[in-house]
Amino acid sequence: MEFLELLSPSYFLLAAAGSIIGIIFGAIPGMTATMAVAVCLPLTYTLGLHEGLALLLGLYVGGISGGLVPAILLNIPGTPSSITTTFDGYPMAQRGEAERALKICIVASLFGGFFSAIILFFFAPILADFAIKFSYVEKFLMIFFAMSVIASLSKNILMGVFSGLIGVLLSLIGTYDVSNGGNGEYRLMATWMEPYLAYGFSLLPVLIGLFGISTIIEEAEKGVKENSLENKVNLTKGTPFRFNVFKGQTGNLLRSSSIGTFIGMLPGIGGSAASILSYTQQKNLSKNPEKMGKGAPEGLVASESANNALTGGALIPLLSLGIPGDSTTAVLIGAFTLQGLQVGPLFIGENIDTWYSMVTGLMFANVVMFIAMFYAIRYIAKVVLIPKFILYPIIVMMCAVGAYAINYGIMFDVWTLFLFGVAGWIFGKIGIEVAPLVIGFILGSSAEVYFVKSLESYGEYSILVTKSPIALVLWGLIILSIVLSVIIHRKSKQQATEEAAQ
Amino acid sequence: MKNIMHTAKVMLLAGSVVAAPAITFAADNPIRGNIRIVIGSKSTGGDTYQASSIIAEALAAKIDANIKVDAVGFSAGYQALERVPSGNTLMIFHDQAYLGHLYKQKGYEDPFKQWQIGPSFATNPGNGYLVPKNSPYKNMDEILNAAGNGQTIRVAIQPGGVSEIGYTAMKNAVRLAYPGQEDNLVALNTGSQSDKNQAMFDGLADVINGSVQANEQYTRLPADDQKAMNFVWLTAKSSTLQNANPEGMGQTSRDELLQYASGLGVRVPMDAENDFTFDKEFFFLYNKRMSPEVVAFLDNALAEVFADGKVQETLKKSFFIPNFRTSAEAQKHFKAKRDSYAKIIESLQK
Amino acid sequence: MSWFSSLNSVVIDFDQSHLFFPRIVITLIAILGTFILITHLRPVLRAMRSGQYQFFVQHADFMRLLATLALIPAYFWLMEFIGEWLPNMGLGFLLASIPFVFAMSMLYCHEKTRRNVTIITANAVIAPTFVWVVLYHFFLVSMP
Repeated sequence: MEFLELLSPSYFLLAAAGSIIGIIFGAIPGMTATMAVAVCLPLTYTLGLHEGLALLLGLYVGGISGGLVPAILLNIPGTPSSITTTFDGYPMAQRGEAERALKICIVASLFGGFFSAIILFFFAPILADFAIKFSYVEKFLMIFFAMSVIASLSKNILMGVFSGLIGVLLSLIGTYDVSNGGNGEYRLMATWMEPYLAYGFSLLPVLIGLFGISTIIEEAEKGVKENSLENKVNLTKGTPFRFNVFKGQTGNLLRSSSIGTFIGMLPGIGGSAASILSYTQQKNLSKNPEKMGKGAPEGLVASESANNALTGGALIPLLSLGIPGDSTTAVLIGAFTLQGLQVGPLFIGENIDTWYSMVTGLMFANVVMFIAMFYAIRYIAKVVLIPKFILYPIIVMMCAVGAYAINYGIMFDVWTLFLFGVAGWIFGKIGIEVAPLVIGFILGSSAEVYFVKSLESYGEYSILVTKSPIALVLWGLIILSIVLSVIIHRKSKQQATEEAAQ
Repeated sequence: MKNIMHTAKVMLLAGSVVAAPAITFAADNPIRGNIRIVIGSKSTGGDTYQASSIIAEALAAKIDANIKVDAVGFSAGYQALERVPSGNTLMIFHDQAYLGHLYKQKGYEDPFKQWQIGPSFATNPGNGYLVPKNSPYKNMDEILNAAGNGQTIRVAIQPGGVSEIGYTAMKNAVRLAYPGQEDNLVALNTGSQSDKNQAMFDGLADVINGSVQANEQYTRLPADDQKAMNFVWLTAKSSTLQNANPEGMGQTSRDELLQYASGLGVRVPMDAENDFTFDKEFFFLYNKRMSPEVVAFLDNALAEVFADGKVQETLKKSFFIPNFRTSAEAQKHFKAKRDSYAKIIESLQK
Repeated sequence: MSWFSSLNSVVIDFDQSHLFFPRIVITLIAILGTFILITHLRPVLRAMRSGQYQFFVQHADFMRLLATLALIPAYFWLMEFIGEWLPNMGLGFLLASIPFVFAMSMLYCHEKTRRNVTIITANAVIAPTFVWVVLYHFFLVSMP
């Protein structure tokens, strides 16, 4: 075990520091794991490979986990992959169960992180060979599968699907990106928009605009009344956290972690699809689907275990194909190249020490994340007690910092915040549903590339079904998912009428 | 009143004392404040970011300034460069700057008109083409001859730039040897390197564009692995590649790589006399309104960086080839390079 | 089976491929939109006429709403303006954030007691400065 000699105290210290800094980045609305890794990337020059990787892996795990904090406390997803955490987390926080929600999420995160690290360690090369069986067609179907969440997520299926389509359309604005296989032509915009929208709207500013800024505008409309003392969110009012909340969640944990790992493993699907997909599946299979979206712990478990499982999953193609699985690992690849280390199909075999130390770092970062957050939560949860007149300006300020920095300094991204803040405020009033719209926006552009490329390369529509057994299985899952969500909608409607009758 | 005047004088004096070191600093560095280098790529894992970071670090140490590299992409990079003529914002890009324009990509203007060309500093000799290990084609000649004899050959590229130029050259070579048969080479337009590899695994492409850095390990896989590939061509000049690190990349030495290099192992003719070669070179772009004083200052600073000789080692370690030209030399060099590629791109447009 | 293969086959010209998917999406939006209009227009119009549906919430605070809608763009504009004037030092962020945080806090604060105003002022100076020092100087995050 030569690699043990590589694990110096400073190695663990850096992994821990990375994890904690990552949590802070993830917890600030607008700052993401990707950004945390990107800003610390130059540090790896001086740190050396193993120490540098420890830091970056810590940042990755911490950043992904930190996103749950604003999602629960402020209804703003701290990172795109924690969007589904807002659905149940915020309602719980409003019931006074912020601390409980946070703790559930952290435990789920730890489970997801460990699960994927273990999968990574034992099955990376085999899984990478499986991942390359996913061509354009199968990738499109995966995206389509994730999109089927729109049906189960919307309050009204018709409006939900309509909103989702608007989201897809918004994501198509700009260039049909050459680096994704497009032809580099502009569409859906007037000439005067070209300097700003050549790359389209960026995901993160759209997201925090729709969730963060629009909430502030709504509040302003209502006069920004501070909660009177008796209405003030009481941190101790709701059900306290107990581990028995995970009773009956084993299936959920395992399924969501597997989905997270798997989505992370497929290059080009995008990390946010992981939590979206596992959330849908949990809703479809749940005993009480009508409770999800209103503060059900199982929703949090699905969302958070999936997005932490992403970390190990996304490292699989990076280390066994040399291809990043998500946007953060795309930055991580820079750490290897800066050190003159090549990633590719032979990486693990040729750098066995690095490989062991990375897996160790990943596991350790998860442990640190868990401990740091579990004990810090009591204080973190107090954010909800800050008066709005102090909190709101700071949120706007931090959103501006995050939006500006997400693409390394583009002012239009800051304007996007405001644009979508106003849009989100108006959407709420005219019946357009924001959650399906965001999901359409997140998945829209990759749906396009894979759909068009499938047809372009094979020249027939039927290829979407007949391409491979994997495609057939995916179709089965898609149909099942849609049917289930329609049944759930029917049921909840019936319940509503029954309740109204009583 | 007198008192107030006195206080003002004292304050002025104090102010000038504080400002004094700044003045001497400004004497040799005409750029005040921090410098931001925007790059034409949005990726921090790519070669542009890597080369830019190396040169930015060396330059920052030389001129004692804060320099930050931002991967904003070409379109946002151009906008940032346009706005700041003081030299506080610079850009680093590569041959894509003019190739994008030649291929009429959206958002690319003629860089020679729109910007000042700054110094060049490094070459990435890794751009190349690969076939699957079980491919019927073993080398470039077989591919070109097969296309000339009516076989359809599908080449996976990312259209509109560096990735397409080699494909254009192959097409041109087929046209020269077998006039009218060049359309048997078909472009499969994909995006990132992973898309190109995937196109090969899916059997959609016969040849893919790739690079030594990204694909070297795939060439060392056993032949029965469906991911295994072989290089057939590296577009860099063999004389350029000869300056690379002798260890090459991974387990493949420079000499092994040289057998795929243009002009040595592989001949892809550009016209009757010359072979086609393509070196991907990185260079600075400046705002048109940036003063000659700043241009000269940066030229000198970079010349000194290269005279010190340390940056060359760092570049070579990462499989780049040091390649310094002053602004004026670079301007002339890239114009000539652009003109020669413009010719073959035009000759294929009917 | 020839009718099937002719229906099944599709040729996408790469040069025009950027329009293929947007067209499908726009068509779907148009169809769904029309359907929603037909089924929902009447009840919605009725609700609007009878005053059941109001765009703004009851007792909307138009002063705070409009001020918010003016203050945020003003903040972004100022940030950009200062950032171009003093480039690459993050000063656009710092110098625009201090007045913005102060103005927005004052706008949202209902009880402008001496204590609250002191907190607001201190916060307006400390918070942006802290963020600027930590993120811009320690972490080298890009700022306008």
